[in-house]
Amino acid sequence: MAKGPGYRMMVYMSKRMIACDEASFLISLREDHRLGSRRWWQLKMHLLTCHLCRKYAHQIGQLNRSLEVYRDQCSHESCEHHLSPEADSRISKVVTRELNAK
Amino acid sequence: MSSTKEHTVDPQHWLERYGDYLFNYAVVRVNDRGKAEDLVQETFLAGLKARDRFRGESTERTWLTSILKRKIIDTYRKKYTSKESSFGEHEQTVFDGDFYRSEEPFRGHWLEGMGPNSHSLLPEGELEQAELMKFIRLCIENLPPQLAASFVMKMIDEEDSDTICKELGITSSNLWVMLHRARLRMRDCLEKKWLN
Repeated sequence: MAKGPGYRMMVYMSKRMIACDEASFLISLREDHRLGSRRWWQLKMHLLTCHLCRKYAHQIGQLNRSLEVYRDQCSHESCEHHLSPEADSRISKVVTRELNAK
Repeated sequence: MSSTKEHTVDPQHWLERYGDYLFNYAVVRVNDRGKAEDLVQETFLAGLKARDRFRGESTERTWLTSILKRKIIDTYRKKYTSKESSFGEHEQTVFDGDFYRSEEPFRGHWLEGMGPNSHSLLPEGELEQAELMKFIRLCIENLPPQLAASFVMKMIDEEDSDTICKELGITSSNLWVMLHRARLRMRDCLEKKWLN
């Protein structure tokens, strides 16, 4: 297959810019840590040209918001996990035995 | 309330009052009902042993939760150091062969089908939200143990990076790579399991 100017441009760009693996790492890193100016620019330039990484950054923001809801729900009694009757009875016996032994 | 009463604990009612709360707290973090039940039991036993040291500076529930939290961190540490929990040959690098192309000149670009699509990961309405919560739990369960430990400590427990590094015995660079890999997998899992 002939390799036209589009292909050559892609090769040129890929040699000079960070790739998606590094960009997605920086997207994650900026959630926890302030990026230095070089890394910030590298990411910015990559995001300008890569629609997949732009979508990735957007979805990581959405993931964070969903995890906030998950965390809040499950730190209250509204979360639907209950000890099974078997576990309840077993723990009750163990605690009572321990209390009586003291 | 008298100061004497503030310093007393009431172990006979722990299970009834805090059993489900502590179980909830544990199961969300360890993603294993059996293990979570064991942790609740161990927490009560550790609380019984340490009850003389309860000073009433926090509520009984907060005090028991802090004991449970220590036990969960011990579980993470065990998972982290277990041999079978390895998560790939490029553990300390950002490159992840499951997601990116490895051939030049496109090394590091998204593999076909592994990049994000345009769907939203946010739920619309309560029903979808309940479903999403279920899938978040499933996707955390599917993470390799080492990634799950760091991800849950950071994103669910909101521990600071220094604490996580200290507890898991890793460097901050390791942590950042692990969080990145966990996010990659969580996003991919939610997109494939929940959206499809």
